[in-house]
Formats: sequence, structure tokens, C-alpha cells
Amino acid sequence: MRNDGTVTLTVPAKAEFVDIIRLTLYGIAAKMKFSFEEIEDMKVAVSEACNNAVLHAYDHSQPGQIEVSFTIMNDDRLQIAVSDSGISFEQVSDRSTSTLHGKSIDEIQSGGLGLYLMQALMDEVEIRSNQGTSVILTKRRLAQEPV
Amino acid sequence: MQSEKLTFQTENLDGLTVVRIAGELDLEVASQMRSVMEPLMELSDRKLVLNLRDLKYIDSTGIGILISIVKARHSRNAPFGVEEVPSTIQKLFDMTGITPFLAASPNA
Repeated sequence: MRNDGTVTLTVPAKAEFVDIIRLTLYGIAAKMKFSFEEIEDMKVAVSEACNNAVLHAYDHSQPGQIEVSFTIMNDDRLQIAVSDSGISFEQVSDRSTSTLHGKSIDEIQSGGLGLYLMQALMDEVEIRSNQGTSVILTKRRLAQEPV
Repeated sequence: MQSEKLTFQTENLDGLTVVRIAGELDLEVASQMRSVMEPLMELSDRKLVLNLRDLKYIDSTGIGILISIVKARHSRNAPFGVEEVPSTIQKLFDMTGITPFLAASPNA
């Protein structure tokens, strides 16, 4: 893939569609010659962003959609934008990342792990909130190995 | 939509229950995982081990479930661990810091 371009897909904001996003990510990232490990990293990061949209973006009476766009930049950078148009997104204001390091069994909890993983697995993470939320994840390919 | 995205095989040995999970552990199958593990979490007379050899995917959803298993077992003073963790999964365990809580010696 030499030219910059964008692939966009829109799926219902339901858990069973997140693996379809991973499949599309695999197809694009493999074409861009990301390494196996880089693709595995991105699969988790994009799923974390999608999970947030599934869990928080819409209430159950108003099922919504998630739009995911994959933009190929300069042949070696992939930018993934996960967007929802949910009305309320209070949980995102609690944007603290957290890991289990240095904590006791009583202290460990899972909140903040998703955001932590996005930041740890991608080169850049940007969150924009305005009538919905966009999570923009970017990764530059390091290895030049075909998958 | 139904899919066999995550399958479970439980083996009961003497003083030990091993649950092999295969496939992908994500948000879609999280409740399935919880309902399989919940009754097993209460077996305090035995060691509970999760074999992850054929687990192809995990994210913070699955790690969150593991945390709740760790806590439940700890509150019952009952052992819990994982075995045969694929390297990609182990990397996520190490990054999130859950690794020390999952130390397993199944035959100990």
C-alpha cells in the first residue's frame, strides 16, 4: 500500500461486533507489513476503545453505532479512530489509567486497565469528546517483516 | 449471533480442578466466562487452575475477570493459578501487573 487512504466501517455498538473490527485491522495492518507482535498489540488497543463505546456510549433503550476508520499514513503509520455519538459519557471523565503493580490483593481492581493498555500498546492515544467520543490510536511500523 | 468463540474443558483431579479455555476471551464472551467460573471459584477444598495454552486473545475484560477470580479465591483461602500461558498473553499479564497474582504450581 503506497498511497494514503482511509478504510471506514460502521458496526452496531455491541460486543459481538468488536472481533470484526479486529479482523479488518488485521487485514490492513498485514498489508502494511506490521509485524505479528505489532498487530497483536493493535488488536487489543482497538478492542479496548471499542469496548468503551459498547459499554458506555449508549443506553440500552437507544442502541447506537461505532464508526472505526483506519487511515494509512506515509506507508508506515496506521491511525485508527473509534467514534461513537453517544450522548452521555461521564465515565470518560474518569480517564485515569491504572495497573496492578505494587498493589495488594485487596487493592487490585480492573478500572483503568483498558486505558492503560491503549497507551502502552500504541504510540499515540488521543481522546476527543464532543457530542460523543473519538479515540484516536496511532502506531508506526518498526519491523519490516512480512506477516 | 451465536459463536463458539470461547470453549471450556473442565478436568477434575484429586484436589485439583483444571479448566482449559480455548479461543478468544473478549467482551462478547465475558458473561459466559463468569458463569462457568463462578461455581468453580467456590470450591475451596481444591486448587483451581486455568490452562491458557489455547487462548488466542485476551484484553482488559478478561484480565478483569481474572482479578475477580484471584480475589474470590483469596477470600476463601483457596489456591488459584494459570498455566501454559502463551507469550502474547503473558506480555499483557506482565504489562498490567497481574502476573504475581497468577503464580501457579498446579501440582504443589
